[in-house]
Amino acid sequence: MPGDAGRPAALMARDVSVRYGPVRAVREASLTVGAGQAVALIGETGSGKSSLAFAVARLLPRSARVTGRVEIAGTDVLAADWRRFRGERARLLGCVAQDAMAALNPVLPVGRQVGELFAVHAGMGRRQAAAAASAALASVRIDHPEAVARLYPHQLSGGMRQRVMVAMALALRPPLVVADEPTTALDVSTQAEILGLVAELRERVGSGLLWITHDIGVVAELADWAAVMYAGRIVETGPVEAIFDAPAHPYTEGLLLTRRDLRSGAPGSPLFQIPGAPPARPDEAPGCPFMPRCPRATAVCAAREPPLLPLAGRGEAGHQAACHHPAPPGAPPAPAPARARTAAP
Amino acid sequence: MARAMMRRLVFGLIAVTGVAVLAFLLEFVVPGDPARAIAPRAQSAAVLANIRAQLHLNQPLVVQFASYFGNLLHGDLGMSYVQRQPVAALIGPRLADTGALALAGVLAEVLIGGTLGVLAARHDRVRAAVGAVNLVLLAVPVFVLGLVLLLVFGYQLGLAPVAGGAGPAQIVLPALTLGLIGAPWYAQIVADQVQEALASNWVRTAVGKGLRDGYILRRHVLRNVLSPVLTMAGMDLGSYLSGVVTVEVVFVWPGIGLLAYNALQNLDRPVVMGTVIVGAVAVVAFNLLADLARMLADPRAREEA
Ligand SMILES: Nc1ncnc2c1ncn2[C@@H]1O[C@H](COP(=O)(O)OP(=O)(O)O)[C@@H](O)[C@H]1O
Ligand SMILES: [Mg+2]
Repeated sequence: MPGDAGRPAALMARDVSVRYGPVRAVREASLTVGAGQAVALIGETGSGKSSLAFAVARLLPRSARVTGRVEIAGTDVLAADWRRFRGERARLLGCVAQDAMAALNPVLPVGRQVGELFAVHAGMGRRQAAAAASAALASVRIDHPEAVARLYPHQLSGGMRQRVMVAMALALRPPLVVADEPTTALDVSTQAEILGLVAELRERVGSGLLWITHDIGVVAELADWAAVMYAGRIVETGPVEAIFDAPAHPYTEGLLLTRRDLRSGAPGSPLFQIPGAPPARPDEAPGCPFMPRCPRATAVCAAREPPLLPLAGRGEAGHQAACHHPAPPGAPPAPAPARARTAAP
Repeated sequence: MARAMMRRLVFGLIAVTGVAVLAFLLEFVVPGDPARAIAPRAQSAAVLANIRAQLHLNQPLVVQFASYFGNLLHGDLGMSYVQRQPVAALIGPRLADTGALALAGVLAEVLIGGTLGVLAARHDRVRAAVGAVNLVLLAVPVFVLGLVLLLVFGYQLGLAPVAGGAGPAQIVLPALTLGLIGAPWYAQIVADQVQEALASNWVRTAVGKGLRDGYILRRHVLRNVLSPVLTMAGMDLGSYLSGVVTVEVVFVWPGIGLLAYNALQNLDRPVVMGTVIVGAVAVVAFNLLADLARMLADPRAREEA
C-alpha cells in the first residue's frame, strides 16, 4: 500500500474485533493507514465505524471487549501498559469527534482546553500554554484567537467548535489523526471548509488520516484509500479510484448511487437509498450479512460468509472485496432492485 | 442578568412580607395568653389586665397589626415581652452564632456528601454501601442523631463538650449533625453528576489528551458538578440561618433557633416575629446568592439569565 517507505505505517490494525456483551460491533477488521496517507472508512450508521476508530485509540468504554492487534507509528497500542499508553496517546494520535459540542467541556474556556495539551506534554506553564493555545487556534484559521480562547464551547458556532477540535487533534503533530464523521453535524459550506482545513493541515504536519464518514461524496476529494464497512466487517477496500471506478461489492455499488456531489451542494436526502436495513445481529446467521439486501444473492450467500479476498484479474493492487459474486471490472453499476426515491412517504 | 436579579429581589421582598403577615396572624390563632406566660403566678385579673394594657394586647387586631408593621417599616422589631429588651438586640449576637453553625453545617454536608458522592460514582462496590448509608441517614430524625452523637462522642468518649454554649469545641457535634443529615442529598446529586460526566464525550476527549485521572476529576468533572452543589449549599445556608431549632435545642447552641424555641414557649410574640422575619430574609438572600454563585460557576447559566 502507498505511503512513505521510510516511516512505519501511521496505523496498522489486524483482525480487530469489538464486542459489547453479546453484540459484535466489529469483526476481524484489518486496516492500514500508511505514513502521511489519508484513508476513508465508509459505512452506514451502526456499521461499527466509531467502535473501530475508538478501539484503535483505546478509548472505548470498559464494557467493550477489544481483540486483535493495533500499531500506531510502530507502537503496539492494545498490548501497551494502560498507564504508560495513556500518557503517550496524545503524541500518537489526535481525535476529531462527530459532535464537537459534546466533546468539549461545557464549563471551561476553549483556550484552556487546548492549552492543557501543551501544559501536560510540553511542560509549559500557564502563560506559555495559553500562548501556544492561541497559536494553535490561529493555525486552524480562527481569527482573533486570544479572544476566542476565552470563550466557552456554547458561545462558538458549530464550525468554530470543530476547528477547536482539529486544533487539539493536531496540536502535538501526531502521526495519526482519526476523524469520526467530523462534518456530519455541520451545514454544507462549513463542511467544505473543515474538509479543506483538515486536508491542508495534515499535509503540512505529515499526519496519516483515518476519515470516517457515511457520506461517500466527500471521500474522493480527501482520501487516497478507502475501506467500506458493513455490519461490523470491512467488505471492500482499495485505492479510491478503484473503489469509485470499479466497485466490486454490491454494497459499495449501492453507496456510490447514494452519493451526492458536495460541490454541487444538493442538500437534503440522497436521491437513492439501498433498500432494507443492516441486520441487527449480523453474527447470528451463517451467511453474508448483506444477502437480504443484495440483488446478486444466491444459495452460497446464505450458506457461507464470504472472506475478504484480493480481486482476481484487476489491475489495481490491494483492491479486495468480501463477496461471492463481485462485479466484474467495467460492469455497469446500478444493481437490479434499485428503487429511486421520488417522494417522501 | 441584572434585571433578572432585580425581579428576584422584588419577589423576595413580597415573600418576606407574606411570611411576616402570616406569622403575625397565626400568633393570634394560637391559643394562649402572653400575660399569663409573663406572670404565671399572678392571681388577680387586674394584674393580668394591667399587663395586657401595657403590651397593647387589649387593642383590636387591626390596630396592633398597623402599629407592628408601622414600626417594622422603620426597622423597629419591638421589645421582648419577657426579657424587656429590644428584639433586635436579642437577635443580633445570636445571628452570629447561628451563622457560624450554619456555615460549619453546610461545609460538613458538602464535604461528607461530596466525598461519598465521588466515591459512589467511581467504585461500584462503594455505591451500594453509600446507598445504604444514605437510606439510614435519611430515616433518622435530626434530634435522634444529635442525641446519639452527644451520647457517643460527648459522654462515652469524652471527645466533645456536652455543656452547651457557643465555641470552636462546641460547634463540632451540631455541625456534624447537620452535615450527616444533609449529606445524602449531596451524595446523590454528586454521584449522579459525576457518573454522567465520566461517561461523557468530553471526559473521553480529556482522557485522549493524556490528562491524569485526578486532574480530570478535579479540573473537568468537579467543575461541572460545582454549580448544582453551590445552588444547594446556598439554599441550605439560608434555611439554616433562619435557625436550626432542633439542633440548637439538643446541643443548647445559643442561636436564633434556641431563641425562637424559648420565645414560642413563652408566647413572646415580638421575639417570635423577629426570628421569623430574620429567617425569611436569610432564606431569600441566600437563594439570591446561590443563583449568583451558580452563574459564576456555569457560563451557560449566565446567558440564560
Ligand atoms: N457503548 C456501547 N455499548 C453497546 N453497544 C454499542 C456501544 N457503542 C456502539 N454500540 C453498538 O455497536 C454497533 C456499532 O456502532 P458504532 O460503532 O457506533 O457504528 P457507527 O459509528 O458506524 O455508526 C451498533 O449496533 C451500536 O448499537
Ligand atoms: Mg459513529
